[in-house]
Amino acid sequence: MTIHAFAFRSAPCFRAAAIALLIGSVQACKGQPELLREGSTGGIPLPKDSTLARVALGDLAGSTRNTLLTSIKNPYEGNTGAIEAGGELFIRMNCVACHGYDARGGMGPDLTDTYWRYGGSPAEIYKSISEGRPQGMPAWGAMLTSDELWKLTAYVQNLGGSFPAALAEQGKQGNLGTTLDTATGVLKGRQSEP
Amino acid sequence: MDNPSIRIAFRSLISLAFAGVAVTACTTHEYPGRRANDAGDSSGVSAVAPSATSTSAGENVTGATAPTGPGWGIPADGDWTTQGRDYANTRYSPLAEIDTNNVSSLRIAWSFNDGVLHGHEGTPLVANNTMYLVTPFPDIAYALDLTKPGAPIKWTYRPNPSPIAIGKACCDVVNRGWQLADGKLIYNLLDGHTVAVDAATGKEVWRTQVYDVTQGVTMTMAPVIVKDKVLVGNSGGEMGVLGSLTALDLKTGKIDWQATSTGPDSLVKIGPDFKPFYSWMQGKNLGETTWPAGAWKNGAGAVWGWITYDPDLNLIYAGTSNTGPWNAQQRPGLNLWTSGVFARDPDNGMAKWAFVFTPHNEWDYDGVNENILVNLPINGKQRKVMVQFNRNGFAYTIDRATGEVLVASPFGHENWASGIDSVTKMPIVVPEKKTEVPGHWVRDICPADIGVKDEQPAAFSPRTGLFYVPVQNICMDYKGREVSYIAGTPYWGADMTRHVGPGGNYGEFIAWNASTGKKVWGIPEKFLVYSGVLVTGGDVAFYGTVDGWFRAVNARTGKILWSQKLGSGIIGAPMTFRGPDGHQYVSVLAGVGGAAMVTKAMPGFPARGGTLYTFALDSAVPAIGQTSAPGVQGSQSGGSSNGAQAKGKR
Repeated sequence: MTIHAFAFRSAPCFRAAAIALLIGSVQACKGQPELLREGSTGGIPLPKDSTLARVALGDLAGSTRNTLLTSIKNPYEGNTGAIEAGGELFIRMNCVACHGYDARGGMGPDLTDTYWRYGGSPAEIYKSISEGRPQGMPAWGAMLTSDELWKLTAYVQNLGGSFPAALAEQGKQGNLGTTLDTATGVLKGRQSEP
Repeated sequence: MDNPSIRIAFRSLISLAFAGVAVTACTTHEYPGRRANDAGDSSGVSAVAPSATSTSAGENVTGATAPTGPGWGIPADGDWTTQGRDYANTRYSPLAEIDTNNVSSLRIAWSFNDGVLHGHEGTPLVANNTMYLVTPFPDIAYALDLTKPGAPIKWTYRPNPSPIAIGKACCDVVNRGWQLADGKLIYNLLDGHTVAVDAATGKEVWRTQVYDVTQGVTMTMAPVIVKDKVLVGNSGGEMGVLGSLTALDLKTGKIDWQATSTGPDSLVKIGPDFKPFYSWMQGKNLGETTWPAGAWKNGAGAVWGWITYDPDLNLIYAGTSNTGPWNAQQRPGLNLWTSGVFARDPDNGMAKWAFVFTPHNEWDYDGVNENILVNLPINGKQRKVMVQFNRNGFAYTIDRATGEVLVASPFGHENWASGIDSVTKMPIVVPEKKTEVPGHWVRDICPADIGVKDEQPAAFSPRTGLFYVPVQNICMDYKGREVSYIAGTPYWGADMTRHVGPGGNYGEFIAWNASTGKKVWGIPEKFLVYSGVLVTGGDVAFYGTVDGWFRAVNARTGKILWSQKLGSGIIGAPMTFRGPDGHQYVSVLAGVGGAAMVTKAMPGFPARGGTLYTFALDSAVPAIGQTSAPGVQGSQSGGSSNGAQAKGKR
C-alpha cells in the first residue's frame, strides 16, 4: 500500500488503524500504555482523556463558564525536543499537504495566524487533531498515541498563532491584543495580508 | 521550442511585474476607439499582432469548421443547455444582435447573487425562458424566471452535501458545471454524488453515490449526457485516488459501467478493439506494468475535466489527470494512462484509442483540458480532429478517429521541454527541469503546476476558423518530497512556490490556428486569464480576468471593444442567450477562487464573490426595465425601475 515504509513507533497499531480507515471504520488503539520516558515532560503527566472529554467544542449556550480551557496545559509546551518530534510527525502524517510545509495553509487552514475555527487553546488544538473536524480534518486519535498528539500540539503552538491556556478565554472572545507574551513566543494580533 | 511569435510578444513588452502602468510596446497597435471605461484598467493591455492578420468580415482564415448536423447536441440558437453548448464544446453561439459595432453599448440588465463565496467555474444555462445556476459547495441549484423583470427565483434546490468534502478538495470547493437533459438538471455534488433535479419544479428525481468522499474522492466536473447515459468522473489527483469515468442511467441514476484510468486492461476497459496510434502505448495491461507493483491503485488519473462526443464516430473523449504522487521518484515507469486522453465507446466504456501527453509526469501537467472537436485542413487534406490546449504548454491537434498527433506546438511560455519527438510524440524533456530526484529545489520550471492553460475552456468560431484561448504565464520552483499514502489525506509529495513568467504578465488571451499550430494574435493581461471563453455570430469573443475585468474583443483582430469591471474575479465561462423579449443577452459568473488563488498575494487581487451578471445592449435593456414599481397600481407611465439613467454613450 505505501511505497515507502516508515518506522512507526506503534507500527502494528498503526497498520490496524490504517486498515480500519480504509474500510471506513474508526477505531482507537486500545490498550497502548502511554510510554513516556521519565522526565520527557519534566514529570508533568499528560492530561487525562476523561478531562479532555469535558472540553466543549465551541461556546455552548446556557453553559456555565467552562474553566477547563484555561487549566489544561500541554506538558510539552516549549519543549524543543517535543516540538521537533511534532514537526517530524507534521510531515510524516501528511499534515503538510493540507496545511503547507510552512503551515500557512492550502487545502486546510493557516496554522500560523490567530484565527481558529475550533479554538486555539492547547486542549482545543489537541482535540481537533485527535477527533478530526467536519470540514475535512481526519481523526488522528485512531492512528497516533496521546503522547504523539501532544507533541504535534506543541509544534502547532510553536507556530505562534495559538492561545496559551491562560489566555484561552480571551482568545475565544477575540481579545488578542497586539503583543501578548506567551510561553512560546509572541501572540500575533490582527495583521494585514502581504 | 520557443514559438518565435511569442518570443517577440514577450520581448516587446516592458517587464512591469505589478507596477500597474500601461505598457506601450514598439510592435503593438495602439488600437483606436479605446473607451473611457478602459482607462481605469491597469493591466497594460495592448493587442500584439505578430503578423498582420486582420481578416475581412466573413472570412474563415484557417478553413477549420465546426461539425454540424443532428446528434451534435446543438440547441436552439437562443438557448444554451450544456456547458460547452454542443458536444464539440465550441462554446460558439450564432446569435448576432450584439456585434463588433454595437458591443461597446453593452450594460448590465440585471444581476443575481447566489450567496456562496467560493470559486464559480461554471456556465449558466438557459432553456424554456429559465436560467439554471448551481453554486459551488454546498451545490445549491437555482432556476431564475427570465419572463419576469429582474429574473426572480423560480425554485431553489438544496442537496446538502457532506461537509467532509470541503477538506478533500485540493483547489477550492468548485463546481464546473451542470447540464440539462430529459427535462432534468443534472450535476455532481462535491461529496461524490450525482443528482438529477426536475427542471420544472426543482424536485430531486434521483441521487447516486458514485464515489467515496472519505477516501479523498470528490466530484467537480460537469457531467455529459450521451444518449441514455450520464457520464461523470472523479476528482482527487492530489489524494491518491484511482481515477475513473462512470456512466449512470439517465432515467434512474443507476451505475451502468465504470472505466479506470490505471490498472489492468479489465478495469481500464481495454479490449481487442483498443488501437493506440503509437507503439509505446501498445501492449497488455500497461496501466499496471508501467508502474511499480500496485502503485497504480493510488496513481490518480482522475477524470475531472471536460468530456466531448462525436456522434458520427460514436466516441467520447475524456482526459485523465496528473499522476500521483507528484513525487515521481516513487513511481518509476511511464505511469499509463495518467496525464492523457481516452477515446471510448459511450455505450459500454470500451477504449478505442488513447494518447498520453506527459508520460511519467513530474510536474502535475494534467491531461483533462477540453478536447474541442473540429474539422480542419492539414497539408491540404480535411481531417476530423480534436484540439487540446494541454497544461504542459503544447497545443495538440489530434486525429479524433485514430489518435494520431498531427500538430503539437507551444501556445504560451514553457521551458520544461525542448519540443515534441517527431516519431513518438513524447515531449523532449530538458534535463535541468526534471524534478525526479526529491529533496532539492528545481528552479524556474515553466509552466507551473497549473499549466499554460488549466481547465478554463477555450472556444472555437466556425466563422473565423480560430480558437480563442485563455493562457497563463506562470512558473514554479519545485522540490519533490517523500510521501506515504494515508487514505483520505493528500498523496502529494511536493513543496513549491510560483512566480510570474517572462514579461511580468500572468495572463494572455490569444487566437490560435490549429492547422498550423501558430498564434494569430494575443492580448496580454496583468492578472491570470482564468475564465472560459464565449465567441458569437457577431464575431465578438468574451473573456474575463482574475481581477474582475469582463472584456469583449473583436474575434478577427483582437481589438478590445468593451470592458466592464465586475464585483470579483472571473473564473467561469460566459454564455449568451435570447431572452423572451427577443433580445440577445450575455451572462457570466464573477466569483474568484479555484486555482486562480495561487496568485492571491498580488496587489489588487479581488475579494471572493458569487454574482451572476447579465448584459444587454443599452437599447434593449428598457424592454425589461420599463416596469411599474411594486405597489403602484395601474400606472404604466412610471420611470423604469433601473434608475432611469439618461441614455446614450456613458
